[in-house]
Amino acid sequence: MVAVAEDKAVELSGVGKHYGRTRALEDVSFDIARGQFFALLGPNGAGKTTLLHILCSILQPDTGSVRIDGFDLRENPRRARSRLGMVFQEPSLDDRLTVHENLDFHGLVYGVPRRLRRSRIAHLLEVVELADRRDTPVRALSSGMKRRLEIARALIHDSTILLLDEPTVGLDVQAREGIWRHVEAMRAERDLTVIVTTHYVEEVESCDRVCIIDQGRVVALDSPGALKAAHGKEIIRFLPRDEASGRAVLEHYPEVASRRGQFIVVEVAGAGFVDDFLARFGNRARELAFESMSLEEVFLAVTGRELRDRLADPREQTRSFGKRGGEHTR
Amino acid sequence: MTRRGDREATGRLALAWAGGVYAIWLREVKRATRDRGQLIGGISRPLLWVLILGIGLNPYFRGEVYGEVRFVMPYTYLQFIFPAVVALNIMYTSIQSAVSLIWDREFGFLREVLVSPMPRGLVLLGKVLGGATVAMFHGCLVLVLARFADVSIAPADIGRGLLLMALLALSLTSLGIVIANRVRSFEGFGVFSNAVILPLYFLSSSIFPIDPALTRAQAQVIYPEWLVFLVQANPITYAVDALRGTFIGFNQFDPGLGPLILAAMGALFFTIALHDFRRA
Repeated sequence: MVAVAEDKAVELSGVGKHYGRTRALEDVSFDIARGQFFALLGPNGAGKTTLLHILCSILQPDTGSVRIDGFDLRENPRRARSRLGMVFQEPSLDDRLTVHENLDFHGLVYGVPRRLRRSRIAHLLEVVELADRRDTPVRALSSGMKRRLEIARALIHDSTILLLDEPTVGLDVQAREGIWRHVEAMRAERDLTVIVTTHYVEEVESCDRVCIIDQGRVVALDSPGALKAAHGKEIIRFLPRDEASGRAVLEHYPEVASRRGQFIVVEVAGAGFVDDFLARFGNRARELAFESMSLEEVFLAVTGRELRDRLADPREQTRSFGKRGGEHTR
Repeated sequence: MTRRGDREATGRLALAWAGGVYAIWLREVKRATRDRGQLIGGISRPLLWVLILGIGLNPYFRGEVYGEVRFVMPYTYLQFIFPAVVALNIMYTSIQSAVSLIWDREFGFLREVLVSPMPRGLVLLGKVLGGATVAMFHGCLVLVLARFADVSIAPADIGRGLLLMALLALSLTSLGIVIANRVRSFEGFGVFSNAVILPLYFLSSSIFPIDPALTRAQAQVIYPEWLVFLVQANPITYAVDALRGTFIGFNQFDPGLGPLILAAMGALFFTIALHDFRRA
């Protein structure tokens, strides 16, 4: 019994949250095993961030319970919180303090003893390649550097679970790749469970488990491979040799074939389909490729949408005020 | 054995928490020293009020009784306004530091503190102490101008004055946090300056004496009742009065009332802030 509990980094059961009449989360229940790389995937406004905020206890759920490392968030919040390292969607660093001052502040607040604090800060700055920026004010850092700094900060105390809320939003490709490389480096050297929310599908291809959330409900939860097998279909990408061949394919498979640019995409429907296709049209192709569906398509198949627009809430109004260069904000 | 272990664990925890309060306090102080805008405000405000308004109105601070010109009070206007400017500088800085909480809570540093194991009450304590320290510093900037205002403070009174200033800074920072907790979106500090600080300041008998029984000349000038009521209901009135009693030896109200109301104000606002903070 105890052994089972110890394997789980996070246990959610029946978690629900409403904002007024709007449902943010409903009856969310799942476990995350220790050491896993767990991704929460969903359209904007699906409830990913709400779920993460419940995990880090900034929000209280209306219903259900959350256990972190076996500690109930409501009954033993201090223990539970000490296991979490949180990286918020918007940078929560102090712009006016230096890199080192920000990290030292975090260590003090989490009660890390001075000597340990010093050695961990030095080490983590090496890992995220910011050691030479130790005394730079944070406002002089690029957004990629700030993210790396925040990840380092989340690991200064004895955190075993790293929560990352959209860590790569707004970063260029190179910086995004850097973030994942550094997270992997951290995972290699300590026993770390990583929970990440994102809407970049390609970033979750390599994770252990994907949880797809839509309108506050878990709609799919499995490994990326299993999700693709369950929801994805194989497709044939066919570049016709001439216009007549293209038309012939579309006419022969009216239900599963469709034009996509200069290609024709045919969904594989059942065993023997590929052989049949090749026998008929194999000699009329200029290019031919077999592909399994990406998670992107799984995601579309499961949720049926990509984005959902919503009105700006007071929080976003404040943010846009700050972006306009508002006084006394930072 | 276990008891000793328990005691050690409690000791470690207390040390860790003290470290956390210190970190939040230190952050507040560091931020203030690196914010040039705030510093400029803290210096220019007393200069404007004391050197320009104070000197400019100095000759008019007197009444005419039966054709005989005499001063209304045994003090110049500069001396009269000086303790109030100390209070004004403390008000600005305290409230400014407190309302930075609105931004901090949604996007800034505070979020990261709120997910830490540190108890919320101690987070608040660090924040209030930090804000009050910076406000005290800005209050002391005004004291530097004492010579120009012809105010000489006896060394013995300095301690008492600083204590009153600290009480005022603590209660106003707490008040600022109470307000910040009730505001969801931040649209600039000007709102707080115009809606909170200036009304409290002007209604605190800071720039004009209110007690009609003070002199006959003033007794003839009857203030409208609503104004007198608002001034008497404003707790800042008694804070300014206490500072005035200390720095220039002039009280419009019972001298014991000021410190009492200041202490009560501090306790009340801190308690409300604590209550809000635990819930938020």
